[in-house]
Amino acid sequence: MTEDDKDKAQRRMAVDASKSTQRPDDGIVEPAGKPDASMSPALQAHIGRQVRAVFDSVAEESVPEHLLRLLKDLDDSGDK
Amino acid sequence: MPETVSPGLKDALVAQIGSLRAFAVSLCGDRERADDLVQETLYKAWNNLSSFQEGTNLKAWLFTILRNTYFSERRKKKREVEDVDGAYAAKLSSSPEQHGHMDMRDFEEALSELPDDQREALVLVGAAGFSYEEAAEISGCAVGTIKSRVNRARRCIAESLNLDADEHDPADLVGAESELRLEAPNPPAR
Repeated sequence: MTEDDKDKAQRRMAVDASKSTQRPDDGIVEPAGKPDASMSPALQAHIGRQVRAVFDSVAEESVPEHLLRLLKDLDDSGDK
Repeated sequence: MPETVSPGLKDALVAQIGSLRAFAVSLCGDRERADDLVQETLYKAWNNLSSFQEGTNLKAWLFTILRNTYFSERRKKKREVEDVDGAYAAKLSSSPEQHGHMDMRDFEEALSELPDDQREALVLVGAAGFSYEEAAEISGCAVGTIKSRVNRARRCIAESLNLDADEHDPADLVGAESELRLEAPNPPAR
């Protein structure tokens, strides 16, 4: 093994080590790009619908007048 | 201050106010504070419109401003954080008329009990319609981190609502099943 090879091998190990410690947050490693295997798709969908319902209940309210007025005021002051 | 803001861009800003409010409420749990956050976000966005490149994702840009505003204010008020968390639960439970539906109240409570980062990830991906990649950019973290936060958020909620299908008494699932049945092509007539 040449000096160069040793160097490469060391770097590779360093990369591998950083990968294995680079776990998201508390160490739970999720398979990338896959749905959560520990939960049924039906349950995931159920929770998804609930989160959307909570979110939409606010998002679909009419916008308070003062927020619309803010944009209008900013727009007007820009015209000066 | 922008010299001219195209009417199209202004309309696009207005069109995002509803989603911004919903996101703000999900972050702080306090509707008044949420509207203050939205106001600050709109103000900052307006004054920095020159740094926004038209044609890129306006919604993600606005959400980023809002969450950064929220978390930097929170850091400043670090000593009050516990009070803020307490206020969150109190505000939610004091507005029963918002959702007459009992399931929804239970769900909102479970959502409010999640750690901030998990709730944020679940709302961005599960409700606001962002991809994992967009949510990661908004929250300033890795895509894998967002995925794991979303998965953990779902698991926490399932646990606190006794929806864990794998290791639970079937009786616990009655609520979930009745909800799931709504998806069947021919729901039973009531």
